[in-house]
Amino acid sequence: MSEAAAVIEIRNVSKAFGALTVAHDLNLVVRKGEIVALLGRTGAGKSTVLNMIMGNLSYDSGSIRVAGFDPYAEFRKLRGRLSVSFQQDRLLPWMTAVENASLGLRILGKSKAEALSVARTWLARVGLAGAEDKYVHELSGGMRQRVSLARALAVDPELVLLDESFSQLDHVTSKALRADFSRVVREFNKTCLFVTHRIDDAIEMADRVLVLEHGASMVLEERIVDDDRTDGERRATLHGRIAAAMGGQDSE
Amino acid sequence: MKLTVEPKKDVYQPISRPPVRAAREGGSHGLGEYVPTIVVSAALVAAIQIASWFVPPYIIPSPAAILQATWHILTDDLGHVGITALRLFIAVAFAITTGVLIGIVMGTQPRVRPYLRSLVIIDTGIPALSWMLVAIFWFKDPEIRIFFILSVILIPFYALNVYDGIRALPKELIDMVESFRPSRWHVMRFLIGPHIVPYVFLTTKSVIGYAIRMVIFAELVASAVGIGARMNLAQSTFRIDTIFAWTLLLVIFNLTLQALVAALENVVLRYRPETEIR
Repeated sequence: MSEAAAVIEIRNVSKAFGALTVAHDLNLVVRKGEIVALLGRTGAGKSTVLNMIMGNLSYDSGSIRVAGFDPYAEFRKLRGRLSVSFQQDRLLPWMTAVENASLGLRILGKSKAEALSVARTWLARVGLAGAEDKYVHELSGGMRQRVSLARALAVDPELVLLDESFSQLDHVTSKALRADFSRVVREFNKTCLFVTHRIDDAIEMADRVLVLEHGASMVLEERIVDDDRTDGERRATLHGRIAAAMGGQDSE
Repeated sequence: MKLTVEPKKDVYQPISRPPVRAAREGGSHGLGEYVPTIVVSAALVAAIQIASWFVPPYIIPSPAAILQATWHILTDDLGHVGITALRLFIAVAFAITTGVLIGIVMGTQPRVRPYLRSLVIIDTGIPALSWMLVAIFWFKDPEIRIFFILSVILIPFYALNVYDGIRALPKELIDMVESFRPSRWHVMRFLIGPHIVPYVFLTTKSVIGYAIRMVIFAELVASAVGIGARMNLAQSTFRIDTIFAWTLLLVIFNLTLQALVAALENVVLRYRPETEIR
């Protein structure tokens, strides 16, 4: 069976801010339909990598391709192909839940009616049916994060990037949201790269776990199978390996 | 498109309220809030009544004489109120439009910003009286004089507050919107426009009393019609009761406009949470 096409392809990328090297000769490939977790201790370069993939940050050498385009040099060409859900929900307070979820679609040029209709469907998929017309301040933290995920998914992107999207939620809400998100992403065969510092998030959601250390160099790559999630012993062993690669750091 | 603004805040807190909120809420908890106003008004009426017993009526007229003059204005001179209100409305509408545009350019165009900002700040340093006298020399038509005076006085308030509003735009929201690769119009339509609306309301509420004083003063020196012109006439004919009556109507006019703006603000900014400070 041939390998799926690469949605993210990072080859020998280096990046420095003055004398500080934040990425050195980094290689990373995420294929279509994969959910990949990017872990690392604070300062390992996770955010730098994510910002380079998002096109917010240039790189000094190597090459980055996202859906076939250079995300920095061809910033506009990734319009509609990539969306991001951030650590904070970043909802616009003057919009209702459904208006927030439809924001990306409106920016992509869909009519208001069509965008709202699609956004309603996505809100229902992430468990927010009935809350569409509530303003941001009327929603709980978990509900707001669900709106943020619906906003990211509603544009039907090839790639969804999550930047610690579940880390500010309580354990129960975070677990429920992770499960819902994984289900939706797999159901619609989306490609997802998510940055997290929580090992359990990575094991539960990802097909593959990548651990970075300072300078964004890869120190561990683990493929996750269902048994790793369900078998307590295997899970504990995997957790230990990842934690060791992260220098024993895990927030949970 | 990359939006270039100078972020003022590092952390976005979506349910926190902008500073204008406190002014808007100002204790809207029923009729109780009007009691102090009623008490103070009654005390003023009583003071005028008592004073009118001891001084001649051309110094302080009785409340009854003031009411009579007010009735006369309401029945015979109401058109002047309409003229003043129309002048005020047109000038404020123009000042909002122009000031917001200047503020947006200042907030989004770093190369133009220092020059526009300097221009606006220099404008704020020019006394209103200077503009009035200059307008008399420059323009023959009293309507243009008044429009010019009000515009040059009000525009800087809107420009500076809108600029400040754009600086306060959380960087997190800009990054979120830009992750969808928006056009400049989309950034304006979905982010900057709605974000600056509270700042426009705040400015309007702050300047409305000042704008009324300015239009009256401008009418007094530069026009034959309008409340200011009628007050000038009353002064030259020694009708102090009429001056008191116009003053009373101006206070009511100001309060009515403030209430209208506040009501409009409550509708437009209904997304903001009600907050109680204990």
